[in-house]
Amino acid sequence: MSQTEEDKLLNEVTGKSYEFGFTTDIESDTIAPGLNEDVIREISAKKNEPEWMLEWRLAAFKIWSEMEEPEWAHLEYPKPDLQAISYYSAPKKKTELKSLDEVDPELRKTMEKLGISLEEQKRLSGVAVDFVMDSVSVATSFKDKLAELGVIFCSLSEAIQEHPELVKKYIGTVVPQRDNYYAALNSAVFTDGSFCYIPKGVRCPMELSTYFRINEAGTGQFERTLLIADEGSYVSYLEGCTAPQRDENQLHAAVVEIVSLDDAEVKYSTVQNWYPGDEKGKGGVYNFVTKRGICYKRSKISWTQVETGSAVTWKYPSCILKGDDSIGEFFSVAVTNNMQQADTGTKMIHLGKRSRSTIISKGISAGNSQNSYRGLVKIHPGATNARNFSVCDSLLMSSTCGAHTFPYIEASNPTAKIEHEATTSKIGEDQIFYCQQRGIDEEEAIGLIVKGYAKEVLNKLPMEFAVEAQKLLTISLEGSVG
Amino acid sequence: MLKIKNLHAQVGDTQILQGLNLEVGPGEVHAIMGPNGSGKSTLASVLSGRESYEVTDGSVDFDGVDLLEMDASDRAREGLFLAFQYPVEIPGVSNMNFMKAAINGKRAHQGLDPIKGTDFLQKVKDCASLVELDGRLRDRSVNEGFSGGEKKRNEIFQMAMLEPKLAVLDETDSGLDIDALRVVSQGVNAMRNSDRSFIVITHYQRLLDHIVPDYVHVLSEGKIVKSGGKELALELEEKGYDWI
Amino acid sequence: MTGSKESFISNFKAPENSRGLRSQGDQYLVDLPVPGRRSERWKYSPISKLLNTSLNTCSGEGVVWPEEILPDPVPFLDSYRLVFRNGHYVSSLSDMPIDDDVICMPLSEVGAEFTNDYHKREWVGAMNAAYHQDGLFLKVSKNVSLDRPVVIHHLTDGADIAALPRHYIELEEGAGAEVVVWSSASEKSSGMCNGILEANVSSNAYLRVDKICNEAGEIFKFSHEYIKQERDSRVKINTFTIKGHWVRNELEIVANGPGTDSTFNGAYLPTGTEHVDNHTVMDHAYPNGTSSELYRGIMYDKSTGVFNGKVFVRKDAQQTNAFQQNSNIVADKGATINAKPELEIYADDVKCSHGCTVGQFDKEALFYLKSRGIGSDEAKALLVKAYVGDVISSVDREEVRNEILRLYSERHGWA
Repeated sequence: MSQTEEDKLLNEVTGKSYEFGFTTDIESDTIAPGLNEDVIREISAKKNEPEWMLEWRLAAFKIWSEMEEPEWAHLEYPKPDLQAISYYSAPKKKTELKSLDEVDPELRKTMEKLGISLEEQKRLSGVAVDFVMDSVSVATSFKDKLAELGVIFCSLSEAIQEHPELVKKYIGTVVPQRDNYYAALNSAVFTDGSFCYIPKGVRCPMELSTYFRINEAGTGQFERTLLIADEGSYVSYLEGCTAPQRDENQLHAAVVEIVSLDDAEVKYSTVQNWYPGDEKGKGGVYNFVTKRGICYKRSKISWTQVETGSAVTWKYPSCILKGDDSIGEFFSVAVTNNMQQADTGTKMIHLGKRSRSTIISKGISAGNSQNSYRGLVKIHPGATNARNFSVCDSLLMSSTCGAHTFPYIEASNPTAKIEHEATTSKIGEDQIFYCQQRGIDEEEAIGLIVKGYAKEVLNKLPMEFAVEAQKLLTISLEGSVG
Repeated sequence: MLKIKNLHAQVGDTQILQGLNLEVGPGEVHAIMGPNGSGKSTLASVLSGRESYEVTDGSVDFDGVDLLEMDASDRAREGLFLAFQYPVEIPGVSNMNFMKAAINGKRAHQGLDPIKGTDFLQKVKDCASLVELDGRLRDRSVNEGFSGGEKKRNEIFQMAMLEPKLAVLDETDSGLDIDALRVVSQGVNAMRNSDRSFIVITHYQRLLDHIVPDYVHVLSEGKIVKSGGKELALELEEKGYDWI
Repeated sequence: MTGSKESFISNFKAPENSRGLRSQGDQYLVDLPVPGRRSERWKYSPISKLLNTSLNTCSGEGVVWPEEILPDPVPFLDSYRLVFRNGHYVSSLSDMPIDDDVICMPLSEVGAEFTNDYHKREWVGAMNAAYHQDGLFLKVSKNVSLDRPVVIHHLTDGADIAALPRHYIELEEGAGAEVVVWSSASEKSSGMCNGILEANVSSNAYLRVDKICNEAGEIFKFSHEYIKQERDSRVKINTFTIKGHWVRNELEIVANGPGTDSTFNGAYLPTGTEHVDNHTVMDHAYPNGTSSELYRGIMYDKSTGVFNGKVFVRKDAQQTNAFQQNSNIVADKGATINAKPELEIYADDVKCSHGCTVGQFDKEALFYLKSRGIGSDEAKALLVKAYVGDVISSVDREEVRNEILRLYSERHGWA
């Protein structure tokens, strides 16, 4: 490929503007910017929360006030001004919604633009969607069907009102308030998120799905998800994210906690395409997320993520493999383009005997972006016969991007078996030429090759999501993804 | 069909083709032989449009269009097929998706709708049987983990799928055992007809026992130095390239 | 008050020479933080225990060389030798080359222009800059290859010692040299040995370094090697930790021109409560460089191993070929390995890979050996020897290889 053509192609690839950049014009009820104890009391009061929840938030705030923003990640960005952010923004009409028809028409339009018309999804794919817009869940579906099985799937605010015993028992047990700077912040100010409980032995018959969107300008999104899979249950949970196009940087500091009790299995899939900023790096979302699950005996948590968005990503979906014979998996595709920066990976903490983990990470860097894998595999002294297998590959698509690998391996047991491999390579000119010789044009060839490169991970996504994920890869890299 | 006139080409600063002339008519099979380094594979690369090869002089007319003006994928869509000497592996891309993308690329070029799923599958079945390519290989990633022989069979399978006007076989016999050679040749022979032409590039005569050429050319130092009928190949085999 | 960074160095005395470097060191000792768990580079190797001790630097006077330690650590090697005790040169035990094309003498007698900035980055480096004592100065002229290897033998001897050697090597264009950097410590010694080696390898020159740590006693050992390579130069560094209470080996190779070749290997087999840390940095800043790294370790008993290997491929370092492999075996309950192989890549047309494993001895192989009548311990020893042997075999001089093998064998009961 000649230099100029490659440049041209990359220009096209990188020149694709953000397709989901629109704002929904509905009235919002927003708290004035700033963060102090009063703001937290106000959030809690607006949400009508019980005293214990407020106490928990305040405790988190106290911890957070004494912490410093971390700097160890391979990222460079201006620190967000946390006092300039509004910590609560809810659509003003707070009437109870009994059916989808009651949803604000503007909001419905937004959903349709996103391609997730709730009704259609309801009818066609059997996906129950909990739609979170600027931190408050506004529409849910399939509740009744799930209720028959005892599955609770609702907003976290609702769960705090309706199922306080479950929330109280599990919140903060996987990601404690003091876990890290942004988790502490989230614990203090989280506005809403999803709550999910699968009872003993129940196999959730449908994929549970949530869409997160940041809408109001200058609002941070601090959602919090709590997912509990009781003994012997199974659930597949999907999370998709988009944010409208804005010039200023928006902060997204979410927390996801998963409890996978004995013999349970949780699949958690994310497709993230928050606004990445423009090609000069202006605007875009700061995505600082703490996601962690704990696995009890013989249970399994499988994280799958396709990350194409955000200006800065800082995210390590992790598994604490506490139970014997528990399994943790992490499958990731992270695409960075233009000025995007991603520092993402996983932590697999092996405590249980014969616990096993698999990590497959595929990074794709283009433009002037920086893409880092950071992972930890820790084998504690008691984790006899623990196993880990990791593969971290990087594909470079321009001479001005960077691909980095930082795996931490800590083993304190003589029976531990860990294998880590990483490779970095350029997209193959021979491969592109071979495709071209068969009549596939260069752009399409690149798409085909990238999709093939990421296939191992894309295959882990549920069908409905795989299609969207492939679309996103196409948008992000402009290759034709059939 | 194909008219190559005074073709000069170089890689980096090395001049490899130095005034090559060749005409291939419809339905004809031309064999190009020559010692290592004579420019055989360069010819294949130049015809198919590999970027690292620079044409410094001459012209190539392909059925009325200027071949050298087009990029590689358009040449393919116009009906030029190259069976690679070393087919590359493309991990994660299934043979089937690959072929579908290729066929639809060509169809779009011709202003046709994408191929129907059932037609495509039927075609795959027909073409695979031609080269005894089993189903397992069809579903695997392009050339990934294929043996040398399997890769070459896959090349001929793709050729059958794409039905080119002109196929260039670049050392298709290299690294093949006698059974694979037979299968590959049968595939090629089955595709011979009065419209389709072939350029068979080879170092050895044995492939030409199976794919019998109409003409044989000897390439040396970037030029065709001798042309003749199929007997020329036998003569070469007997006397060696030094004879030229 | 002990434990503070000021108190730790309060008894140190600096020689009178190299004022410029020393004053920089003094400044950075104030400015830089003490390595701690919060620092990414030191999180697995905290030094708080050392800071709580009170150490003294020694003068070079009144040297008594302990009987149990041979001044010549590689007895059968035909070599030049510079011997140091507690940072000071021992001329009576040394044997230096006399050659017009080679300058080889104690650093204190010549002085050198050090170019590395380690003392500006690390507190430990600042300490050496401020208080360094003596070391090797070696300069080999253009197109001259030193006829014999130079062995630098540093001994730390005595209680609560602070030894701070500093070595300088310069190879002119097309020159060549082999250096063995050997450190030992006597049974009853304690304290710290903080050494720095800088080597400037000009274009088309070659340097081989075999670095062996075989220290008894309870020494905290820091050693930092900084190697700068110019165009088409070749460097090969082997780092063996045979014995050491607490060892931190840092190796930094900067490829400062195109076409460089860097090979660096290491082995560590800590036992008891020993701590061995290997930090390597390979910095490719120019095109067509090749680097190959192999480190293998076995952690016995309650020991800790640390491996951190960083490979940088900068924007202009196209066609770099970088390979890194780190393999570890945690042999006993209570032992730990912390490994972190890192790739930082900013050029696209490169071939880089790293692999890192933690595992056990191949059970099949063990069984096979046993089925041939070889006892369990012996079979294990055979496998260990083979495992570490891959690293030992990269030592070019047979005499050095044999001595390393002999010491490992003695320590680990290999047949």
